[in-house]
Amino acid sequence: MGSKCEKIERLLSDYMDGTLSERQQSVVALHLRSCRSCKREVVDLKKTNHLLENFYVEPEASDAYYAGFTTRLQHRIEQSAPTALHQRLLAVATRLGWHLLTQFHRRIDHSRLGGFLSIRQHAFPYYIFGLTLTMLVVAPLLLNQVAPQEEGNHVLGRLYAAAKIRFFSADSPISVQPTAALAIKQDQAGAQPIDLRRSVEAGLPSPYKRTTDLPVIDSGSDVWLFTDEPMTEGYIFTALQENDSDTVPSVALDIDSELLAYAELPAHGAFWARLTGRDVLTESRYALLLLQGMDAGQHALQQYERKWSGFKGFSQKLLDVPLEILSIPEVYDSREL
Amino acid sequence: MERTEALLIADLCEGDETALAPLVEKYKRMVYRLAMQITKNHADADDVMQETFIKVYRSIRTFRKDAAFETWLYRIAVNEALNFVKRRERQQASTLETVSEAEYEATLRYRAQITNDPHAHAEKAELRHHVTEAVNSLSLKHRTVVILHEFEGLTHAEIASILNCSEGTVRSRLHYARKKLRTLLKPYVDASNV
Repeated sequence: MGSKCEKIERLLSDYMDGTLSERQQSVVALHLRSCRSCKREVVDLKKTNHLLENFYVEPEASDAYYAGFTTRLQHRIEQSAPTALHQRLLAVATRLGWHLLTQFHRRIDHSRLGGFLSIRQHAFPYYIFGLTLTMLVVAPLLLNQVAPQEEGNHVLGRLYAAAKIRFFSADSPISVQPTAALAIKQDQAGAQPIDLRRSVEAGLPSPYKRTTDLPVIDSGSDVWLFTDEPMTEGYIFTALQENDSDTVPSVALDIDSELLAYAELPAHGAFWARLTGRDVLTESRYALLLLQGMDAGQHALQQYERKWSGFKGFSQKLLDVPLEILSIPEVYDSREL
Repeated sequence: MERTEALLIADLCEGDETALAPLVEKYKRMVYRLAMQITKNHADADDVMQETFIKVYRSIRTFRKDAAFETWLYRIAVNEALNFVKRRERQQASTLETVSEAEYEATLRYRAQITNDPHAHAEKAELRHHVTEAVNSLSLKHRTVVILHEFEGLTHAEIASILNCSEGTVRSRLHYARKKLRTLLKPYVDASNV
């Protein structure tokens, strides 16, 4: 096969699909008139396509399977629905309230006339304590429910999101490590991220250290995948350019396309996204941090520490993220990360 | 009154869970077909289907209304399926099993049944088996592109968008996949009169 044929051969697949330019299409057509070998190649490819079209058996499941699928899916969604912190607290408060009520009922002296209100005196302090505790839990929730919601545009200076991720052993080949994606999405503004980088823990072999260029953002995609760049441990972060859209920005963290964290930012004015059970993952190896409208990373970090210093659990995981990562201006100027 | 797809999506965004079922009903066969072809395993395809629709349910508010829902769904399903295969490869540390004979036979029986073609087994079974096996034997990347282009009818641009790669990559993979298929099916290609 001559070099001309080799070049033409590479175009034959597109020639069959009609996706070549007009000029290339005519060049190939002209070549095929005079080259039996390439002509034969095209014929064989067309025959192959014919076989695929007519004899490939697409998998199909039974109607019974499909019928049961929707029900199972519904059940799964109900079971796996992420439970917000306030929902869990409400559930605990309800259980506590019910327990106190039953205790109350058991301690009524039914033998006495009008015993409904006759409570044994020694149990009384417990009732008061229990009811006070219940009110302490329930009252803020009730107040929160009736509090007016903040309204207004999400006028962001800049929006940052950072995630710390730890996967498997660094000894495992990089090819078997999961892929991670962190995305800031601003639905209608169509804003592109102005920076998107990630780093890995120091000490790993040099091929693991890399800076990810800005990915091509697809207009319909909610995540930006680092498809061919798995990582063992490290950080990814991104920033959204300034915008004045009134749509709600959201942040998503995916590991192997599995949505692990998702958060919508609160209305304008908040420095920090409100963290709930949906924002931060159940496993300690992940952390997602949202930094909104910061001027300086260090300042934001201080704000963050103040806000969450008294809150163990989620916050502790986030505070594990090293200072240099949270200090966005440093990271922003560094090509090391 | 039956809700349009756009209305179902809008309702789902508003938190109306009843809007999910009609969308699942409409697309479940497509998602299953896709998942099954990539994972080559019914149990995995079932998991991929569930994960795909759960992701649709949870992420619907991030879906751009001016984009095609079907393409968005393709993207989620394909990526779920690909990641499933990668995870399984990690766990098994071995090559993928091809579709088992039992699964293949079950599919063939089902298709013969729904197409009401009593001669499906007798006349074309061998050829169908070989063509299907040839596609299944392609590498994951090549198989995915072939499935999306040849069987799902997606354009190069749509596939590039779904796989998050360039159109050139899609074309290249398609080119090599077709050459591989031609080699695998050579006896049938030579015998074909088309």
